[in-house]
Amino acid sequence: MRNYIYSAFLGVAAAGHAFAASAPVAAKEEYVRAPMPAGIQVIVTELEGPVFADANGKTLYKWPYQSLRGGYVGDEKGRSTCTSKVTTTSEGLFSPYPPGLVLPHLDTRPSCAAMWPPVTAPEDAKPVDRWTVITRPDGSKQWAYDGQALYTSVLDRQPGDVLGGTNRDQLRQMAGRYPVGPQPKIPPGFSVVTTFNGRLLVNADGYSVYASDQDGPNKSNCRATCEETWKPMLAPALAKSDGEWTIVERAPGVRQWAFRKQPLYTYNRDTSLYSQQGSDVPGWHNVYTQQVGPLPKPFQLIDTQKGVAVADANGKAVYAYLCSDDSLDQLSCDYPGSPPEYRIAICGGGDVDRCLKKWPYVVADANARSDNRLWSVIEIEPRSGRLATPGEAGALRVWAYRGNPLYTYADDVEPGDVRGDQVGEMYGQRNGFTVLWVRDDFSHSET
Amino acid sequence: MKHSFAKHVGWRAFTAAVTLAAAPAISFAGDGTAPADGRIAYVTTDMYWGVYQTADGKAECPDGLNKYGPREVFAKLYPKGGTEIDTHLAREALKYYPEDSKDNFPMPEARGPIAIGLNLDGKLGPNDFTSPTGEKGIDNALYRVIGCSPQFRGPEGQFRLFGNRLVRQLTYNRSMIELSGVDSLRNDDSVQVTILRGLDPLLTDAGGDKIMPGGTQRVDNRFSKRFYKQLKGRIVNGVLETEASDVTWPWAVFFGNTNEYRFRGMQFRLQLTEDGRAEGLMAGYADVDTFYRTVMGWSTHHLSYGQLDPSGFWRKLWQHADGYPDESGKMTAISSAVNIYMVQVYLDRGEPNIAVSQSR
Repeated sequence: MRNYIYSAFLGVAAAGHAFAASAPVAAKEEYVRAPMPAGIQVIVTELEGPVFADANGKTLYKWPYQSLRGGYVGDEKGRSTCTSKVTTTSEGLFSPYPPGLVLPHLDTRPSCAAMWPPVTAPEDAKPVDRWTVITRPDGSKQWAYDGQALYTSVLDRQPGDVLGGTNRDQLRQMAGRYPVGPQPKIPPGFSVVTTFNGRLLVNADGYSVYASDQDGPNKSNCRATCEETWKPMLAPALAKSDGEWTIVERAPGVRQWAFRKQPLYTYNRDTSLYSQQGSDVPGWHNVYTQQVGPLPKPFQLIDTQKGVAVADANGKAVYAYLCSDDSLDQLSCDYPGSPPEYRIAICGGGDVDRCLKKWPYVVADANARSDNRLWSVIEIEPRSGRLATPGEAGALRVWAYRGNPLYTYADDVEPGDVRGDQVGEMYGQRNGFTVLWVRDDFSHSET
Repeated sequence: MKHSFAKHVGWRAFTAAVTLAAAPAISFAGDGTAPADGRIAYVTTDMYWGVYQTADGKAECPDGLNKYGPREVFAKLYPKGGTEIDTHLAREALKYYPEDSKDNFPMPEARGPIAIGLNLDGKLGPNDFTSPTGEKGIDNALYRVIGCSPQFRGPEGQFRLFGNRLVRQLTYNRSMIELSGVDSLRNDDSVQVTILRGLDPLLTDAGGDKIMPGGTQRVDNRFSKRFYKQLKGRIVNGVLETEASDVTWPWAVFFGNTNEYRFRGMQFRLQLTEDGRAEGLMAGYADVDTFYRTVMGWSTHHLSYGQLDPSGFWRKLWQHADGYPDESGKMTAISSAVNIYMVQVYLDRGEPNIAVSQSR
């Protein structure tokens, strides 16, 4: 078994060859400029928006203290539990499995700190705004933000990479690491969430915000019956225009927020969070602070029983694989070069051949290219899933999303089938497969 | 003992069964029972698999309830632990490849003469049950598999407790029926029943728990096509009966999954009450492959609460499958019944069907 940190390095290098020149970016999310320690910067990334990065452009992550079924993992505020000690046995954090099981590949297993290098601070570092300095178990200093110890990820190779974790709900690992960034520059009463399509603007309660084609720049034409369905996002009396945010006076004393000159509304018929249902009404659209680039060819969108999913050229739903192990470190086991036994247990019952048949990779043709860095073409050794070495016999060119291969499911046979969704441990979020959802009309609908 | 029968089967199931049996005694006010425009719709509020239970379980489960779930099997097989690959991952693998299992842990089956359900094949067979109200020829082979599984028994089995609760909580599960062409809600020899899915929360009373008739549901025209179905039916003494038809029915659990059951030859038998409720049974032959997948849509953690071991469960399902043989003669579906409860709802058909994916 090759050392899987090493494999990860090769992986990004291989993926890099498949990137086309970056497509022109229409608009990027503005953020609140606040004091930062020397050497820290903000990079506006494709999916996560503005994130903090170190001097080399590597994204910063936190590992918040989180509850799993069998206990807690992660960092409490003010301390780091991610050390250089290599864990050898499982922690029993997910019932029904007990602790003390021997983890795979101990000869090459990295420590937590090897996978997640701490963001070190000088000995004489002083707190800056929301940045503080904590002392690690070995006595060294580490930067923290809002009390959470900060790390980089060995999976990130280029400035703007955010491969170590995501804030996007659907692809968040349970008890995973999440990128940390500055506050978006939005007025009180708004929030921004990371979605498949980009950074979605919502109100403070999580309900989507919309704009209309019928409105003019900083002018609302939604009156009378329109207002029965579309509720203007009202601005307080003391609110002032600032940058991309302006105020439209609907009537004397009635002021409405506008973003990039578009008056903003919520949709009275929305009953679920982060909804896209309002965008089904002709002329109305969700609002994003920034959007991701278009899907690369040959991917397409399909309707399913839960919402809209990404599909391959044949209309079959496309799946990502998520995995984190049951150690106290919660190391990822879903990137090329990580121990493949987790995935092969689920996709093939331990049999690689069944895996390849039941969950085939989404193969990329010779001309396949992506115009953005979320999507890439990588070469892998298909049986192990590790990245292929240059010129390796039997290597397979496959599509990847956020650096990891994509799959289809052989048992999806009818249009719109997503029978493989959540196949795996703990609804597919622990060690399993999940559809690449673009729109989900039902997950946030609990009443 | 007073109300002992009710205690055996549970109050709600008892109420539904008695209501069905006593249907001729129920009458709607006067003759004016036709709904406006001949249409009336109902939305699902509760569902659970038909499991006939006695108080101590001894009558239907003389061998006791199932004791070997994932946790117990693991402890038996790996008393000294082992590697993640050989233990934990090997057990998870069997969830998706149960045919690889070499286990043979005991899994008691439900016995006894009584089961909840309908006579699906119109015959009186040697393996048939009698309903709690005395109807002969009841087909519910699934009951043999799940009747002694704590996972499915009330009141605290995971499928009974969470499975039912999530029917209310998740709009994914917002199944509805609309009756059209209705001249009378008491007797009508020809009505059309359309299965639809809604998009909205259920209407509750001020306490927030009791689901009330008279709410409104938007009809989902876009993502619910696989659940849409039209059935022919009739109403006899206030009981809606439908023809048997193949139906796909959404029933998701946690984390917004896409669980569904596929029924071959599914039919409703629902008592329509004066206070706007439709209660009774949804019975049919559950496609075994889909049924197993959907049950496995629950995490091993949750399956452990009810001692439901995947590979043993899989074997029992196929062993008792009793309908829809494939070309080789292998049965592919298993007779089953679901207790289902609905309340009257108004439908908002809203926007016309959206043909193009608008996802940004």
